[in-house]
Amino acid sequence: MATKLKSAVIGTGAISKEHLSFLSECDRVHLASVCDLSKASASYAAQRFGADSIYTDYRQMLDEIKPDVVHILTPPHTHKLIASNCLEAGAHVFCEKPITPTYDEFQELCALAKSHNRWLIENQNYCFNETILAIEKLVADGVLGEIQEVSVTIALPIRDGGVFADENLPNPIHKMPAGVIHDFITHLCSLIVRFIPDFDRVSAAWSNHGGGDLFRYDDLDAIAIAGSAHARIRFSAHTSPKAFNVIVRGSKGYAETDLFQPYLRCVIPRAGELLSPLINHFVNGCDLVGASFTNFRNKIMQKTPYEGMHRLLDQTYQALIDGKAPPISFADMERTNRLVNALLSEANRV
Amino acid sequence: MKLLITGASGFLGNYVVAEALRRGHQVRAVVRPSSNEKRLTWHNHPNIELIRLDLRRKDGIVDAVRGMDAVIHLAAAKEGDFYTRFAGTVIATENLLDAMIAAGMLRLVDISTFSVYDYQGLPSGTTITEDSLIESNPLERDEYAQTKLLQEELVREFEQNHNAQVTIVRPGLIYGRDNLWSTLLGGKLTDNLWLRIGAYATMPLTYVENCAEAIVSAVCDEAIAQTLNIVDDNLPTQRSYVKKLKQHSYSIPRLIPVNWTLMRFIAWIMWTYNQLVLKGKARLPGIFIPRVLDARFKHFHFSNRSAKQILNWQPKYSLDTALERSCSNVELLEASSKTPALQPLGS
Repeated sequence: MATKLKSAVIGTGAISKEHLSFLSECDRVHLASVCDLSKASASYAAQRFGADSIYTDYRQMLDEIKPDVVHILTPPHTHKLIASNCLEAGAHVFCEKPITPTYDEFQELCALAKSHNRWLIENQNYCFNETILAIEKLVADGVLGEIQEVSVTIALPIRDGGVFADENLPNPIHKMPAGVIHDFITHLCSLIVRFIPDFDRVSAAWSNHGGGDLFRYDDLDAIAIAGSAHARIRFSAHTSPKAFNVIVRGSKGYAETDLFQPYLRCVIPRAGELLSPLINHFVNGCDLVGASFTNFRNKIMQKTPYEGMHRLLDQTYQALIDGKAPPISFADMERTNRLVNALLSEANRV
Repeated sequence: MKLLITGASGFLGNYVVAEALRRGHQVRAVVRPSSNEKRLTWHNHPNIELIRLDLRRKDGIVDAVRGMDAVIHLAAAKEGDFYTRFAGTVIATENLLDAMIAAGMLRLVDISTFSVYDYQGLPSGTTITEDSLIESNPLERDEYAQTKLLQEELVREFEQNHNAQVTIVRPGLIYGRDNLWSTLLGGKLTDNLWLRIGAYATMPLTYVENCAEAIVSAVCDEAIAQTLNIVDDNLPTQRSYVKKLKQHSYSIPRLIPVNWTLMRFIAWIMWTYNQLVLKGKARLPGIFIPRVLDARFKHFHFSNRSAKQILNWQPKYSLDTALERSCSNVELLEASSKTPALQPLGS
């Protein structure tokens, strides 16, 4: 019989669907409990995904259930306290992004995890999406050459309705240092450091183009430089359509994708200087047509841009069972949060 | 009576508040913090007290409930994904019920919906009453039905665990000014193009003023522990409703007619393929899910006998009068007169 880890989930809001659907299906997991301040919400999650018990007090849950792994899916400003309690109770922690509001708090939490010999894992799910893994392979195989430029852009109309624009019940993310952009900054930075791990210089323009009191910022335009390698980090609430573009340029060629409508365009030397542009056009065209059919199928089959999360969780649980380091290491989180911190320290400078 | 009315600035809530004021009740109307009170015709009525609250947050709800004789709970989320609706409907109700328990005020008129019935499990031609089967497979229904079913469960628990005095009102599809087109007529393809599914199904309609009267009547003691369906008399078929809309110069979108039996056959084929080949993992548009399709277009009859008997209620406005009022310029939300008079069109 396969080893099973006893898991619990704290916070049963929208993102819990992605976590719970994995936990309810994975044969290495026993979904022991779900916890939420709303009993109705916890009850629904337990019934829908087959958890054994529900709690509205996570400390009581930690005492009584003694989970091996806790998924923390609450608003970011609550992460540090809850994660600390979970680590002290002997549980590994898988925490939604951003793991903490500040870099100092992140470091304190990491130190606590290490002192208790527990793993602390920040959800950096997009790094495990199919097309990002494919680009990583191109880099590893030397197809793109030496990396010279990485650009990550998220365009989302967050001011046009939805949870972030709700003035009746302002989302807690608005109180984070980067405001609503803090909800996306881990994704932006974790993808950048996947390809360019460290930086010498960072420059960031934080703007609130839409104005008003609810949003602290709605636009980020940043450049980070490491030696001769440049990274562009971009968030926009004012461009359409929705997009999550990643472009990695190397000394030999480049690869690009959109994680919301996935495709992989790879422009590389294929048959000499004369024919390469032509062949790239044909190959890229075929790839795009193929991606259109795949995306249509994925939409119907409910395969969302969160597909990387199931892969990340699967690898994480396997690593925990095998006693190995999880796929998001302390070093990965350190690099990501250091870049986030560098961008935040640039706030209001431009 | 002193009534707390949630969802007061919504389509139905607006009319319920106006009707409650006409009947001389003192009304504490719950509106969201960002609501523009000047858009509420009755906002400066002497018997109204506006309370700005978001029921998704517990703060202030106990104080709002304290001192009231009854709560009419209309607030619900009708837009957004499942979790947005869950927060606006289920968690909002949970917070309200917790506050009522804390304040020791246990008289509730909860506004549910016709969507809770199990239309697939009921044979075609059945008369839907309060005792008809409740949906047994909510995950195959839309988010609105799912969250309203969960809301009813919470209210039933509240009734049983706290000996609360509960009336559940289930209106059919509510129509009125600015809400004349209906999802019971078909499926939307584009802003101005609809698939018109069937033509001869009876529509479980209730005109908003009729419905508001029934809801305010439901605060009476006779309605305690009752579940009441609210639909009007002489319900139209889809075809006759569209015809009447045209007579009132309502701008009908372009329609592609599809036979009901054919549409149902297509939906069954797609559903079966999904179950057998795709292991049920595909998410199809609602019109290709038999359970959703049946809830909107299957042929049923609808009874309002219980509501008439218990509430001593009669739907005051016929379909023709209701459409005439909806398309007129008369102020329907005037709370001072007993019944707003109908002005000539264009006056």
